Amino acid sequence: MPLQHTILDASTRPRRKPLKTLLFPYVLIAPTLILVFLFTLWPAAQSIVASLYNSPRNVRDEPQFVGLENYADLFDPDHFLGARFTRVLGNTILFTVATVAVSMPLALTFALLLNRRIRGLSLWRFSLFYPSLLPLIGAANIFAFIYSDSVGLANTVLRSLGLQGQNWVGNPDLVLWSVVVLNIWKQAGYFMIFYLAGLQGIAKELYEAADIEGASGWQKLTYLTLPLLRRTTLFLLVIAFTFGFQTVEQLQVMGEGGPGDRSNLLLYFIMQIIPERRNWGYVNATTVLLVAILLIFTVSNFILFERGGKEDD
Amino acid sequence: MRAVSRRQLCLMLAFVVVLSLGVLPVSAQEPIVIDFYYPTAVGGPITEILEGYAAQFEEANPGIDINPVYQGDYTQLRTTVQTEMRGGGTGPDVAVMLATDLFSFVEEGYIIPAQDFIDQMEDGEAYVNDFFPALLLNSYDEDGVIWSIPFQRSTPILFYNKDQFAEVGLDPEDPPQNRDELVEYAQQLALPDGERWGLMLPVAGGFPIWLFQSFAIANGQNIVSDDPAVVTFNDPQVTEALEFMVMLGDEGVSPAGGSAWGDTPTAFTSGQASMIYHTTGSLTNILNNADFEVGVAYLPSGPANDEGLGYGTPTGGGNMYIFDDGSKTPEELDAIWRWIEFLSSPEIQADWTVQTGYIAARQSAWETDTLVNLLAEHPQYGVARDQLEYADREFSSYRAIDVQGIINTTLSSVLSGSETDAQAALDSAQAQIDSLLEEYR
Repeated sequence: MPLQHTILDASTRPRRKPLKTLLFPYVLIAPTLILVFLFTLWPAAQSIVASLYNSPRNVRDEPQFVGLENYADLFDPDHFLGARFTRVLGNTILFTVATVAVSMPLALTFALLLNRRIRGLSLWRFSLFYPSLLPLIGAANIFAFIYSDSVGLANTVLRSLGLQGQNWVGNPDLVLWSVVVLNIWKQAGYFMIFYLAGLQGIAKELYEAADIEGASGWQKLTYLTLPLLRRTTLFLLVIAFTFGFQTVEQLQVMGEGGPGDRSNLLLYFIMQIIPERRNWGYVNATTVLLVAILLIFTVSNFILFERGGKEDD
Repeated sequence: MRAVSRRQLCLMLAFVVVLSLGVLPVSAQEPIVIDFYYPTAVGGPITEILEGYAAQFEEANPGIDINPVYQGDYTQLRTTVQTEMRGGGTGPDVAVMLATDLFSFVEEGYIIPAQDFIDQMEDGEAYVNDFFPALLLNSYDEDGVIWSIPFQRSTPILFYNKDQFAEVGLDPEDPPQNRDELVEYAQQLALPDGERWGLMLPVAGGFPIWLFQSFAIANGQNIVSDDPAVVTFNDPQVTEALEFMVMLGDEGVSPAGGSAWGDTPTAFTSGQASMIYHTTGSLTNILNNADFEVGVAYLPSGPANDEGLGYGTPTGGGNMYIFDDGSKTPEELDAIWRWIEFLSSPEIQADWTVQTGYIAARQSAWETDTLVNLLAEHPQYGVARDQLEYADREFSSYRAIDVQGIINTTLSSVLSGSETDAQAALDSAQAQIDSLLEEYR
């Protein structure tokens, strides 16, 4: 009879949970929600609104509503900011794609190579990881020094091989790639750690089964490893892309946006136009665009990867 | 314990009150604190020197405390000031900033003119006349009101290696006097394969405008005048000046695209460059680090005139700006002006020159023993001052940050070879500048 009693109770239990229980989780996350609202959502909303206004000449006048004109100006090649914005935006996308396209496969390669017992494994892992421990401004200074024309390592080595030294930071065709190299050097080790963790989460039995089936190394990689690392890859893609758009310190030390904006990137460009009070509308418009790009990228990545993941399952 | 009687209690209480009154600090006169923001744009122990001046001033002026606050370079200082002021903070009381920032800060109402204080001085006219006129050019607004007082002023100068001159058969006492001689000497001094450059122009990086002005002024047309709403960029003489600079890189006279500002003095003192353009503020540093005889001369940036001279230079460096939103008391303003008078006094300006290489802005400073002795031992320190004869105002205008941004971007595009049609680049830049400044005319 007790069992029947319990079953009867369960089936007659669709009474509502007490309000306290429902609210409790929200109470727990309320502090964080408040912080997120105050420091992320509210400023973001203010930014969007501010991007629709222009600052008048007289400090005491009210800002004027101009709608989407600021955005239009940013893409107008005759406008003093528009002429630069398209180039800067292009640079940023090129820079980020190049950095991500090289540092992530590199990180995966390192992880695959170092996911086994070899002599000096810790030393190997550390030496690949340590660049990410350096403060960014320190790493940037190191590379600025390496790229120096008179005393830098890069040109010294080239000249000792009989080749010509290059103007790594002054040559408009080279400067962006010089910064790309710095970024890859700094990030690859960091991503490697994530891939290592991901690799170690893959059951060894799967590989053993593949070996029994006679799968080649390449097949194991493409049919087993990569799909199973999907979550890690997604995570790293989003992070790497965001890092690319946040590049500032490197530029401060290596050419300040380079000759004629050739190495100027979006966030640094925004910093350059902030000091002029009249540019406030443009500052917010560029920020909104920057965040929009990152959002679109992140969301589309999640959709693609999640969909792919479901197919696999 | 005996009970305390009421009378005794009252006596004790009175005693305590009187005692604490005597112990309380005399709060009638709190010292006036002056926040003094300063940047560092040249090498040397600037912080120590300025704190020494502050101590000296405080000793002579009890009741005033100076609070020197180091703020990085000129750009960082300006950013800090603007952030504080826009955020509703009080900002500094006195700040050392570039001439370029004058009109922005006037527009925003953060600063008050030095003219107000000069007018109240016993002999304000003598004070003003004692400054080198060229150094005051950037203190005036379009109505002739003086806003800022020169503190650490400079011009770019030509540093040259006298030993290397002698080595290739040039007269070490005869530096180039015009741009043709500049090219000729540089080509003679150069060693192949970049082992030694005859000339290095530090115009790489984000701010070529300063040295560019030297070439424009020496060619007869500065890009600014006393009207802050007019910037002359695509004038034929200005274009020609820019094309000359490009030619220097193209023909291998100096590194293509220019050298980096921070690297250049090192390249000079290590013998990799025979002649460099750099600020006189680097003079002390260079003299300390060079193991050869250092020659200093005027910038030979222009074509030879009838006397064979082609000189021209902008001024540079920082002025002192006074901040007040209207809430400062007369005592505070008085204290601020005393600090400014102190820092612009002949004695302090002379000492500042010895320690850095900046030009003492007061003409009477050069008659003090300090500078007379300095010049006797190192005549190089007088060259920038003498070059003031050929100096014109530094860049400044309304919307200075944006206009300067346009100019610098255009210049660095053309100088680095990214943009090959200089005239077209200048024309489009001029169009953008004009559309920005239109509403100020």
